[in-house]
Amino acid sequence: MELSRVLVSLADNAAMSLKVEAAAVCLLDESSRRLRVAAVHGLPAETLNRAPQDIHACGLEREALAGLAVLAADERQELLGEWAGENLRSGLCIPLVHEGKPLGTLGVYAAQPARFCREDASTLEPLAELGAAAIAAAQALAELKTMELQQAQFIRIATHELRSPVTVSQSLVRSVLKGYAGAMSDKQAEVFTRISRRLDLLETLINDLLDLAAGKAAGAAKAEPVLLNASIGRVVLLLQPRAEDKGIRVTFQPHRGQLIVRGTEDGLDRIFVNLVGNAIKYTPTGGAVAVSVQQKEGQAQVEISDTGIGIPEQAMPELFKEFYRAPNAKQSGEVGTGLGLAIAKNLAEQYGGRIHVKSSEGRGTTFTVTFPLIDPNGLENPLGSILFK
Amino acid sequence: MKRVLIVHDDPDMVAALRLPLESAGYQVLEAGAGRDGLRQVAETRPELVILDVALEMAAACQVSLELRNPSPRSHYRAYRHIPILMLTPPHTAASLRSGTDEAYLPADDCLEKPLDPDVLLEKVHRLLE
Repeated sequence: MELSRVLVSLADNAAMSLKVEAAAVCLLDESSRRLRVAAVHGLPAETLNRAPQDIHACGLEREALAGLAVLAADERQELLGEWAGENLRSGLCIPLVHEGKPLGTLGVYAAQPARFCREDASTLEPLAELGAAAIAAAQALAELKTMELQQAQFIRIATHELRSPVTVSQSLVRSVLKGYAGAMSDKQAEVFTRISRRLDLLETLINDLLDLAAGKAAGAAKAEPVLLNASIGRVVLLLQPRAEDKGIRVTFQPHRGQLIVRGTEDGLDRIFVNLVGNAIKYTPTGGAVAVSVQQKEGQAQVEISDTGIGIPEQAMPELFKEFYRAPNAKQSGEVGTGLGLAIAKNLAEQYGGRIHVKSSEGRGTTFTVTFPLIDPNGLENPLGSILFK
Repeated sequence: MKRVLIVHDDPDMVAALRLPLESAGYQVLEAGAGRDGLRQVAETRPELVILDVALEMAAACQVSLELRNPSPRSHYRAYRHIPILMLTPPHTAASLRSGTDEAYLPADDCLEKPLDPDVLLEKVHRLLE
């Protein structure tokens, strides 16, 4: 629950359980030296706009924060402080403490003098205990959300700051390479071609790193039911031209039924662009790549097989590590960042999935990705919401 | 000689655009994003505007929105026929063009960075036909 709702409900419950007209929840700020009125019941809303006050100025609350329930009756009117201005003549205030840490106070107030007694404090205490736990949980959640926002913001800025110089350099080099800055000697053209290739690799590297960071930052929070066939079909279509250029046959066998898994379209696309892309990249001309989607043992299973260069046995344990590339992959002359499989594994696991690999060097590789299936009958709006959004 | 006004916040990107455009015989003019861009449109009356949408996204969009959807009394109504080519960050042209975003893309065409000079010229020729 959101912090504001926790606080209001706490004030309401306190007033109702003691059948009095007014209640207030005050929270300590980070310095633990000032108190802010955070929620009220039966008091003017302006009370909430009061500037935070030094705890020494809040008699009743200050004494409560010392650890005990405090009564303000006729003989201790001065303790009511600002509350007296609201025509309140008596009050009872108890500390809100969670795991030994004071968070603030819960107070109930009445116009009737000497309205409260010790038993009332006992009534309020369990409520305060529960309230303090709820406040601590809500505060932790709010902090987590702020951190997530900050991380997303950082990634956005980093994306721009890292990409911008690279894309501008690429644009300049391409203009020169295509002869728009005048004719070049063969040697100059060779140098510029090398620069261009390294810049392209740098761009891919930046995109991959940011994908990895963005994936880790987003977590599984944004996952929703998605159709597996559709995602893989999209990726196969996207990569088909690349395979054709290289003279590789790609076949796709979708599952006849609709398999629904938990993920994001973008995330699933990234997983399969990496796996199918690798299969095409590391399969020589004339080879074949087969992609299939099946249902097995209550799970969705995607298989990507190729007749490519394969993965040496000693490379297997390192395969999914960031920046690792198998020696034969490096020698193949294909450029790569060594991040694709790390990204794919990271994303698959976020969606509750697993990636397995079987390979024989020189003969080919099969990657198998499994995801837990979602029962379409369990969805609020079965398929409709996925198909027609 | 047809004039192309580049509204930008990065002189290096202008250099990359200038090479192919000038060798294809266009006169290249430049202006900063935001108000300066709008003023230059009125002063120079170019045949085409290229908007570089970098960090100054808001400023770049201000130029294109003002040119595309001028208020009835706007000084810039006279220039709304000028075609706009928008340079967009990598991998964003598709999402800018797809779905509901299409209605809000105040440009006649867009081109992703990094720039392919041949594609740039092709798009510029087409917009100026």
